[in-house]
Amino acid sequence: MVAVLPLLLYPALGLGMLQMTLLFQEQTRTVVILGADDLPAPPLVDGDRFHAAYFEFPGDVDKLHVVTDATSTEDATDIDLGQDESDSEVVNVADQLRDQVHDLVRLQREADESREAGDAVELEVLEGRITALKGEVSEAMSIAAIEVLILVPEGLKQHIAEINEQLAESGQDLSDIDPPRLQIVRNSANEKSLMAYRRVREAVENWEDRLLQDRLASAHLPESFPDPVNPDQIDIARDQQIAANVWSKLFPAMLIVMAVTGAFYPAVDLGAGEKERGTMETLLISPATRTEIVIGKFLTVLLFSMGTALLNLASMGFTGKYMLSIAGAGQMSKLGDVALPPFTSMLWVVLLAIPLAALFSSLSLGLAMFARSSKEGQYYLTPLLMVTMGITVFCLSPGVEITPFYSVMPIMGPALLLKAMLLAGAEASSLYWYSIPVLLTSIGYCALGLWWAIEQFQREDILFRESEQFDLNLWIKHLLRDKEATPSFTEAGICFGMIMLLQLVAMRFMGGATAGLMEDQMPVRMMQLLMVQQLAIIATPALMMGVMLTTSFRQTFRMYWPSLKFLGVAAVLAPVLHPLTVELSQFLGQHFFPQLPESAQRAIAPMLDSNQPWWLVLLAFSIAPGICEELAFRGFILSGFSQRGRTGLAIVMSSVLFGAMHMFPQQVFNAALLGLVLGLLAVRSNSLLPGILFHIMYNGIEVMRNRIDPGFWTTAPMDWLVTVEAVGESTQVRYDWPLLAICGFIATGLITWLLRQSAKIREDRVKGKMSPSRLPGASPA
Amino acid sequence: MIEVNDLSKSFEDLKRGSVTALERVSFDVQPGEIFGLLGPNGAGKTTCLRIMSTVLKPTSGRAVIAGYDVVDHPEEVRANIGFMSGNTGIYDRMTAWEMVEYYGRLYGIDEPTLQSRLDDIFAVLQMEEIRDLLGSKMSTGMKQKVSIARTIVHDPPVLIFDEPTSGLDVLVARAVLQAIEYLKGQGKCIIFSTHIMREVEKLCDRVAVIHKGRILDSGTVEELEARHNQPDMEELFFELIHRHDHELVAGGVGIAEGV
Repeated sequence: MVAVLPLLLYPALGLGMLQMTLLFQEQTRTVVILGADDLPAPPLVDGDRFHAAYFEFPGDVDKLHVVTDATSTEDATDIDLGQDESDSEVVNVADQLRDQVHDLVRLQREADESREAGDAVELEVLEGRITALKGEVSEAMSIAAIEVLILVPEGLKQHIAEINEQLAESGQDLSDIDPPRLQIVRNSANEKSLMAYRRVREAVENWEDRLLQDRLASAHLPESFPDPVNPDQIDIARDQQIAANVWSKLFPAMLIVMAVTGAFYPAVDLGAGEKERGTMETLLISPATRTEIVIGKFLTVLLFSMGTALLNLASMGFTGKYMLSIAGAGQMSKLGDVALPPFTSMLWVVLLAIPLAALFSSLSLGLAMFARSSKEGQYYLTPLLMVTMGITVFCLSPGVEITPFYSVMPIMGPALLLKAMLLAGAEASSLYWYSIPVLLTSIGYCALGLWWAIEQFQREDILFRESEQFDLNLWIKHLLRDKEATPSFTEAGICFGMIMLLQLVAMRFMGGATAGLMEDQMPVRMMQLLMVQQLAIIATPALMMGVMLTTSFRQTFRMYWPSLKFLGVAAVLAPVLHPLTVELSQFLGQHFFPQLPESAQRAIAPMLDSNQPWWLVLLAFSIAPGICEELAFRGFILSGFSQRGRTGLAIVMSSVLFGAMHMFPQQVFNAALLGLVLGLLAVRSNSLLPGILFHIMYNGIEVMRNRIDPGFWTTAPMDWLVTVEAVGESTQVRYDWPLLAICGFIATGLITWLLRQSAKIREDRVKGKMSPSRLPGASPA
Repeated sequence: MIEVNDLSKSFEDLKRGSVTALERVSFDVQPGEIFGLLGPNGAGKTTCLRIMSTVLKPTSGRAVIAGYDVVDHPEEVRANIGFMSGNTGIYDRMTAWEMVEYYGRLYGIDEPTLQSRLDDIFAVLQMEEIRDLLGSKMSTGMKQKVSIARTIVHDPPVLIFDEPTSGLDVLVARAVLQAIEYLKGQGKCIIFSTHIMREVEKLCDRVAVIHKGRILDSGTVEELEARHNQPDMEELFFELIHRHDHELVAGGVGIAEGV
């Protein structure tokens, strides 16, 4: 097991990372430049961005939004009036800040002078005023969402132009001089060489500065000559804010790691440890129900987890503060006076520790129940810790902040909320809204985890697992020998794992296959690859496993003729659900999900490209996925999950996995929702065909929606149903409310009918025990 | 008090596929009676008793204990039985008194009743000197006494003992058997599994011989001896088992070898 673990762990982590990068998008920050008209010649600003030439990575340009008070650029930016208005608002705020910043600089200079003069009383007064002023400035900046403010002094342009002129008049032409260069050899892969190099560089740079100064002096030029602009940096951070920054990184990380470890060891002791010490059966024969036992254990573990996390934080906080206070003038003193966060922030730490600890407690308990012995239980800590650490590191990276989307993710929500709370200190009022989704979803995840732990505790094969050697060979033999009509739960899970793993492998080939292609060949190749991917990665594993591991291929893949009414329902549901889901995901895409990265948009692009032949697009985006994905998800996986008789749970799980396969957040959500309908269709009709029909039709509509001439929609009989919007160069069809209302009505009716269908079929099945031939819609296996 | 009808149980096993541990077992036990399940290791005794204690669920068949079905009303069944087996250990980190008291509270006995009951049990089982001893520091005999005390703390009408004397020295085993006899005198309905003939002859009112998940024969010791014309219980036991094994081989029933 220990050896197998890494083989499975890292591909899973890799997939997780991939999803994370799709989810993550750095927010654009605002920079305000006042007096931009006075900036000298090579342009620093280009529209509302810095000039691209000054960035190492071209993508970085869009990470900064530049607002200037320049008069000349106004006609360039007035495309978007709303944007312009808020920009001028920002400029006004910045304008008011100008005087305060100047005061701040003056006060700091006075403070420096009185420090040199040794006037302690005066110094204290000045420092008090500086802190107050810094507070005002930083508050104003954070309210107006200004991240950096640049103040250009009046007449800078002219000043520089004058100097340039003077130089041109007095100097001879020396531009050809290229003296022999100093050479520094280092090895950047060698830690020791790297460290030495850093020191050497520092010395050489300072030495070069001296050299330059001497040269300037001999040429009768001012010392500021090599730095024509030489900006003054004004830091408005107060000591408390610096401390908050330190704590906001340390506390969430420590809280999470300690909550995991604090939950895990007691859980292993209460789960696997009880089996090991032979007291499990003593407990099982007590009058308490199994659910009560698990909840009791859960509360114990939760207490330990919370206790560990909070005690660690408290101890770390006080020790850290003490260490810094005795460190004095050492390197650490640069961190400033690291005061502990205010009381309200500490309350949030305690409050958010509860959902985190609860989630970890229930997960660890589930794992601990599964383990045969404490030793085995402890192996499971590694993957849990790895995944958690990965998420933690992601949350702590600068630039990641809480968004509606992150707030509903497990672990991330509480961690990011805590980070934001600690950073904001007392000014956290806008964050209180986030606490609602964070706490609600955390309770949900915790309930799921607990439910899983209870499930584990109720299974005889897990409670009384004997310590037998896990033998892969034996297990495969067992799978091939003891086949059943439909796949088992585990086999369905493995099938999904294989599909995901193959997808990960295929990504490389996808990249390679499209790398050297011309722009116009791209879409066709992309679609061919999509079809191959559907066949090879999704359909083939499911079909292979179906042939090898089950006795009834027909039953596993629901290869039966459905009754016509189910086909009818599928055919109506697809066009009716399409507008609803499209609008829902549009809405969520704008308000909730992060934007898609460029690479993903490129893969979807051929679908919107009206130059491709329609049959090819239909084949790639509608028919191939319709058949392949249904075979895998409603065929093998759904059959496997429902083998234990819990059809509802099986439908939910298969649709969650169906969503997870789609990678992009918007699609994940959409696919998971549709998966529910597809699963319901498959189970109720006991046939794969209605699902395939639904899938093909749904995807087909999606493809055709944007290929139909927009004029068709805007003419008389149709114009109240849809609106055609311009998106960049192409147009997009959006559905209007009347249409959505009609669709919602029909869809609700049909889905209710499908749900009702169940009771009838079950009754018939009970009767059918006596006369199986009377089973409607289902042929005997 | 105990009614078992056509009880069957099968497991999934990695090596052997589906394994039938219990096959259509039926018997009943009356109050004031000790019923013995006699069989070699792996015969299905523990599985049968675990089903009766609701820890395992039967694949098919029914077991009704003190009027409650083990599948439909597991909580009521557990409240009405005392169960003790080699697998029901005691907690290392609790003293004898704490352990028994804790289980008494789990059964919802009110505090004054519980305390007087604990005093009685500790006196009868002569456990006064280990009252405040931690489980981890007890000898096997002491642990067994605590287990018995735990089993009877709620005064259940039905008692189930799964090989209560295995691994005990003669002195302790004798004390355990005496305790069981004492409980019979109190009118309890007792089921008792063992692979030791002498215990059966000494203690049991009726016996069932179980092997490979099936009951081969059952009745009082005298009835069995008369029926098979074999005055020695041990010989009778071996005879029954050998005959069954031969029948299996002759019948070609493909049950894998020894469990």
